[in-house]
Amino acid sequence: MLSDLLARLEEKDRLALARLLTLISRGEQLPEISSAIGTRNETTPVVAITGNAGVGKSTLVGKLAEYLRGEDKSVAILACDPESPLTGGALLGDRIRMPSRPDDAGLFIRSLAAASGHQAVAEHVDLMIRLLAKFGFDVILLETVGAGQGDTAVRELADVVVLLVQPESGDELQWEKAGLLEVADVVVVHKADLAGAEKTEGQVKELLSLPGSREIAVLRVSSRTGQGFEALWEAVMAAPRRGTTLDGRQLLRLAQQLLADRYRSRGAAAGPIIDRWKAHQLDESQAAEQLLDLLVR
Amino acid sequence: MNEQAPLRIVLAKVGLDGHDRGVKVVSRALRDAGFHVIYPGLWQAPEAVVRTVGDEDADWLGISLLSGTHLTLVPRIIDLLKAAGLDHVGVLVGGIIPEADIPKLHEMGVSRVFGPGTPMTDIITYLRSEGSRTHA
Amino acid sequence: MATAMDRKLWARWQEEIEKSPPPELPATTVSGVAIDPLYTPDNLDGFDYDTELGYPGQYPYTRGVHATMHRGRLWTMRQFAGFGTARQTNERFKFLVDKGQTGLSTAFDLPTLMGLDSDDPRSLGEVGRLGVACDTIDDMRQLFDGIDIEKLSVSMTINAPAAIVMAFYLANAQDRGFDWRKMRGTIQNDTLKEFHAQNEIYFPPEPSVKLAIDVVEFCAHHVPQWNPVSVSGYHIREAGSTAVQELAFTLADGFHYIDQTLERGLDVDQFAGRLSFFFNAHNDMFEEIAKYRAARVLWADRLRNHYGAKKESSWKLRFHAQTAGCTLQDKQPEVNLIRVAYQAMAAVLGGCQSLHTNSMDETLALPSEHAVTLALRTQQVLAYETGVTNTVDPLGGSYFVETLTRQMSEEARRYFERIDELGGMLGAIDRGFFRREIADAAFAFQREFDAGHKLVVGVNAFQEKDEKPLDILQIDLAVEAEQVASLNKVKRDRSAADLSRTLDAVRRAAEAEENLLPSLIDAARARATVGETMHALADVYGRCEGAVV
Repeated sequence: MLSDLLARLEEKDRLALARLLTLISRGEQLPEISSAIGTRNETTPVVAITGNAGVGKSTLVGKLAEYLRGEDKSVAILACDPESPLTGGALLGDRIRMPSRPDDAGLFIRSLAAASGHQAVAEHVDLMIRLLAKFGFDVILLETVGAGQGDTAVRELADVVVLLVQPESGDELQWEKAGLLEVADVVVVHKADLAGAEKTEGQVKELLSLPGSREIAVLRVSSRTGQGFEALWEAVMAAPRRGTTLDGRQLLRLAQQLLADRYRSRGAAAGPIIDRWKAHQLDESQAAEQLLDLLVR
Repeated sequence: MNEQAPLRIVLAKVGLDGHDRGVKVVSRALRDAGFHVIYPGLWQAPEAVVRTVGDEDADWLGISLLSGTHLTLVPRIIDLLKAAGLDHVGVLVGGIIPEADIPKLHEMGVSRVFGPGTPMTDIITYLRSEGSRTHA
Repeated sequence: MATAMDRKLWARWQEEIEKSPPPELPATTVSGVAIDPLYTPDNLDGFDYDTELGYPGQYPYTRGVHATMHRGRLWTMRQFAGFGTARQTNERFKFLVDKGQTGLSTAFDLPTLMGLDSDDPRSLGEVGRLGVACDTIDDMRQLFDGIDIEKLSVSMTINAPAAIVMAFYLANAQDRGFDWRKMRGTIQNDTLKEFHAQNEIYFPPEPSVKLAIDVVEFCAHHVPQWNPVSVSGYHIREAGSTAVQELAFTLADGFHYIDQTLERGLDVDQFAGRLSFFFNAHNDMFEEIAKYRAARVLWADRLRNHYGAKKESSWKLRFHAQTAGCTLQDKQPEVNLIRVAYQAMAAVLGGCQSLHTNSMDETLALPSEHAVTLALRTQQVLAYETGVTNTVDPLGGSYFVETLTRQMSEEARRYFERIDELGGMLGAIDRGFFRREIADAAFAFQREFDAGHKLVVGVNAFQEKDEKPLDILQIDLAVEAEQVASLNKVKRDRSAADLSRTLDAVRRAAEAEENLLPSLIDAARARATVGETMHALADVYGRCEGAVV
């Protein structure tokens, strides 16, 4: 089954790609898929788009994809929306604001549910990125659930992180409070057709000019008028790329995910350990060691 | 964890009618019942619906129609699904469908038709009992 | 209302009510508002007859906009109609006039409503299906052929392309020798509610409003008896809003149109009196009546005290009502007759100026002639047999109705404040405020229905096993081919030079931010189609596609 899918992937079969993404998102056969795909094709830029709810992430991702298609670059989009922690359900609506190009083989959009409280993107996105790069997309765009928690994970997954802010009417800028500027490689003042965009741009630049700050591009973009996409892409390409160095962290992350998946599938076996811990027959670290043994076995 | 994986369903408004009250209510109800609902918005062309179903690797497609164009648009979508190798995807139709047209839709390959006044539990129970043919 | 109450008797009633079992179903309105078992003078603290009620035809118009209301003149019985080609709808119009209908109301098909021509690929299967197809001025001429449009008032339900269709109507009327200044009627032209609820959207919000205001401005100068906007809550309600949301969002839309028209330099009294309203008549009788009464009070207050209108006609909120399509059921469809009758009564008791009663088969198809006749007869029974027209505002002074009216006004005012906080109308649209509020309300109702807290006869209660299907009107699929053929003929016969000259003029006028009606009327006479003209405008305005949640 998997070998069949992987063979079809080599032949650029879109349905095989879609199915493999499903397997990955469910944490199934990860080691097999991972070794079949190999290490990431480093020439494919992975660009994360993040920012608060309502700032227009999906719209900008959609317009950026259209711009890149105009430049004859094929684009894959991974669009993340939150999953309900109670029911596991999710309403994935990012496609609403993205282009519909049913005849265009150079655009692929996949909606993903991100477990709440987990991170700003869905699980196993790193492997999905490798898969999409192997399939041959020229650019991979990753839309996060929102800015805030999990930003560090996004920083590790993407080569370039684009942070969206919008012209604010209040005195205090929300993203300043959240310290989000630390995450970004490029800051976009989105909805630049609205009043106050220039002022916001000035404020962001001022904030970034503090001593010791990194060099970060700040620019104005309007999805409504189409202004600024060329400049945005230039800034993205000019930004120093993060993901180029391979280190142990990526492996550690994969190992963590594997453990978490195994815990979910073999949860019942862990029952006795948990019971003994609850009954104070084991202390916390002993119980954790035994759990690890169980999952590694 | 195969059995626990949430069903993925694309809910599509096709044709020109903009009445999205029903599709939005169903979207929320299915989300709350633990489904992953992909909603691509209004005015979806049949070709766009099929592309979405394929890229999203959906288990189910729910088509919402209130303008009376079901006998024009549903067969087109079903033909395109077949042509794209997606005939394993279950198809539901929701909206205002005259009684006489329901057998015609079943014949085309629609699994179920849900009319106005359908309790959400009916849809949820049906999908749960059918499960997934995509990931059987 | 400082009426002395016998507290001993009141206490005894309290005791009895506390002993008795609670109601079987939650005592809430269809919008989910909790209702007390009894209303008394206690509910109307500080009530002042003169300022809160006053007299019909006088500020604040709680009791109605005319001194004698339906006792002096009945509401207009105006049934919405349109299907197939202009010729077929023209026949239906003549049929309705024969049956005693006193105004005409035009339904356009979905392609026309969306600004598309009948030969557009997206129109496939939709041409002439839910209304009449109107591609060019030729269709408009056919639609009103043989009908005296100076005598009958005509209503047209169209929004995104309203300015273009109005141009067709005006050019055709002038060509037939009618006097614009004598013509009466209404064009819906309410683009804002499309963004909230109805989704017939073509341009982004700002230019959409600009086009709507062009019609308001042009009519104020040249077609003075015409209602250039019908500010509509109907569709907001159909999309699942509560009664208060319908009330508040509709009035807020009206305020936005006023603000924008004032920016053109018009005096408020030049146009405010011609803004009309269109509300839903839903199931919950007293909630609906309170909604209409609160609407009049809020509008009068805003026009007089905020906008400083001097003419009383500017203060008066006149409205058309239509019974709620979303309450019609496909199970036991004859029961819809009964729903419609009660809904119509609410509209009449709430002081409507005109009324459409839905036909019992409308969930299934376009209404048959039999069903349309029964719907009209429902209004005639109400007008001539029930006696509800004998006195003005018979529910005025009811502790319950007055309390509800007050509550609704207060809640609507809170919504006005929230909209202001979100940056006004366009800011709130941009933030998805209206759509979210409406979707939340729709979902809340569905949960109540699923839980069996709200019963719908024949659907989740009192079902029947074997139902006889109704005979329904079948739309001939040949209509599409016929319409496309006649459109092609127009395209062959017209002058290409006139077409491109007039469409260029439309583009230039749009760029220069001039009023578009004069150039649209020229383009109409050059037989430009709806779709071609929308395209020309989109060159300047851009399109609003997909961004609808």
